[in-house]
Amino acid sequence: MDLIKLRDYLWEIPKTGAMRVPGRVYASAKMIAGMREDPCLTQVANVACLPGIVGYSLAMPDIHWGYGFPIGGVAAVDAREGVISPGGVGYDINCGVRLARTNLHFNFVEPRIDQLADALFAKIPAGVGSWGAIPGLSIEQLKQVAGEGAKWALRNGYATERDLEHTEEGGMLAGADPDRISERAYQRGAKQLGTLGSGNHFLEVSRIDEIYDSKLADALGLELGQVTVLIHSGSRGLGHQTCDDYLKLIGGAMARYGINLPDRQLAAVPISSPEGQAYLGAMAAAANFAWCNRQVMMHLAEQAFLEALSIAPRELGFELVYDVCHNIAKFEEHSVNGRMRLVCVHRKGATRAFGPGHPALPEALRPLGQPVLVPGDMGRYSFVLVGLETAMRETFGSSCHGAGRLMSRMKAKREADGRDLQAELKALGVTVRAHSRAGIAEEMPHAYKDVAEVVEVMEAARITRRVARLKPFAVIKG
Amino acid sequence: MPTKPTAPQTEDAALFREFEHTGDLGIELDAPTRGELFRRAAIAIASLLVEMAGVAEIEQREIVVEAEADLDLMHDLLTELLALFTVEGFIWRDASVKEAGRSLRVTLRGEPFDPARHTFRGEIKAVTYHQLMVENSPGGWRSRVIFDV
Repeated sequence: MDLIKLRDYLWEIPKTGAMRVPGRVYASAKMIAGMREDPCLTQVANVACLPGIVGYSLAMPDIHWGYGFPIGGVAAVDAREGVISPGGVGYDINCGVRLARTNLHFNFVEPRIDQLADALFAKIPAGVGSWGAIPGLSIEQLKQVAGEGAKWALRNGYATERDLEHTEEGGMLAGADPDRISERAYQRGAKQLGTLGSGNHFLEVSRIDEIYDSKLADALGLELGQVTVLIHSGSRGLGHQTCDDYLKLIGGAMARYGINLPDRQLAAVPISSPEGQAYLGAMAAAANFAWCNRQVMMHLAEQAFLEALSIAPRELGFELVYDVCHNIAKFEEHSVNGRMRLVCVHRKGATRAFGPGHPALPEALRPLGQPVLVPGDMGRYSFVLVGLETAMRETFGSSCHGAGRLMSRMKAKREADGRDLQAELKALGVTVRAHSRAGIAEEMPHAYKDVAEVVEVMEAARITRRVARLKPFAVIKG
Repeated sequence: MPTKPTAPQTEDAALFREFEHTGDLGIELDAPTRGELFRRAAIAIASLLVEMAGVAEIEQREIVVEAEADLDLMHDLLTELLALFTVEGFIWRDASVKEAGRSLRVTLRGEPFDPARHTFRGEIKAVTYHQLMVENSPGGWRSRVIFDV
């Protein structure tokens, strides 16, 4: 694959063959060497073949081999002439991250980490073989969740108005059509509202061990030594089934629209087509389920803190900093070749990162830029960033979403063979509670790239700025 | 891509091999016949979800899938089985397959999943179409499937 270095941390894949635009990759020279060994750069080129794509097929520094789209890919298509691709959103529709702050200092929690980890593990179901946090939801109730998102949580006592203000899209994506979700998808989601899931999903209790910008940190209510909670989860079986349903529908409809793409997983139809509109309605509904899911888990986490530490809500001061989604397609206005255009931005493993002053940001956060939450691995650290103006010019207001895997799950399991990872992590100061030993092995710290390198690339490219680093000390895995 | 046989968890030795995929989980299957290929796929997905050692063959479930192409049949069968586990909470240890034209009638033998007795291995979100392959070669039937996990 030909790669041209445009400047430090930015590379171009020239337009060849069926590509409609060039590819652009944000990465260090070291990262590029690793990417060349993985099919992910070919996937960036494949995405560049989507009808209606504008600007560039973009790759963030945490890019890795996905299915169809690379994980860490961003593609904006013209809202009128472009296509929508369920693979460009992914199976876990609105997989995302939320960060809650507390009034607690690490010194207060340190002697009670085990009790806290036990309480969180007991309160937050993984979602397999047991009911979720809210048992017995009927299909009608699930449709309400899919229509209202985090607002449903507010109506049912699991959220505050402030929580919704600090959630991307207010926790409810416009255009949701719950009737476009299949019965099977509702059945798969029925027991899973308020559940974490397995794989790379987690709840992480951390302390802030580094502040990079004290002004921004102050404005976000973050300070050194403070205890925070990071939750990574998505739309669970409801979203997975929805993606599957529409991949099939759209895969079968493509030929009618004369669309031919290099990978079946890239299946796409015109946004304006009946199939495209149906998917967008279903995707928004699944995204809403995900926001409600993370909101309910945050509520459960607050309960666990209060019980385990025997403190009052005011002492705890549990408050949402922000909630971001990193698997989604959204209609946004961006400048393309000097002209503002309405585009549909597919972010597959990439986070929206709007710069300061963007009208989509809540008033309290608007002067700062959008908080971008980037989880690392459970042994090292995660980051809080904010979006910068350059992101609006270069990346359709997008940044990275995580560390990116270095090892396959299989290799990680091999490396973990015979080791007591839970004890190793304990020695590093991280208490882990997990439903599956294999899950810990697959998610071991060295299976991931160092997320610090990822966020440094984004900062050097002036896409996002670091605000604070979070050091995990208690991790709940599904 | 390096592959290794997965430790046999049923009476059949090495029913499938896992292969390296950075983010997800890929398997390769070989079988002497088409029906056996689908049977092995059905057992493979069960053993990726739950440790087979603790699963007893007490009850039966039957599913029918139909599709024009074998590729879609493989995808749809595994997706139906994923739903059988996640929606109905049924886990199986063995399967038998009856082929009839473009449809498959699959009988699963197992029991209701019980988190107290069974060891859950990890969630599978979906059966992807990415590099999905089913082919009949002179050496027998082969398939490759990547799961989103």
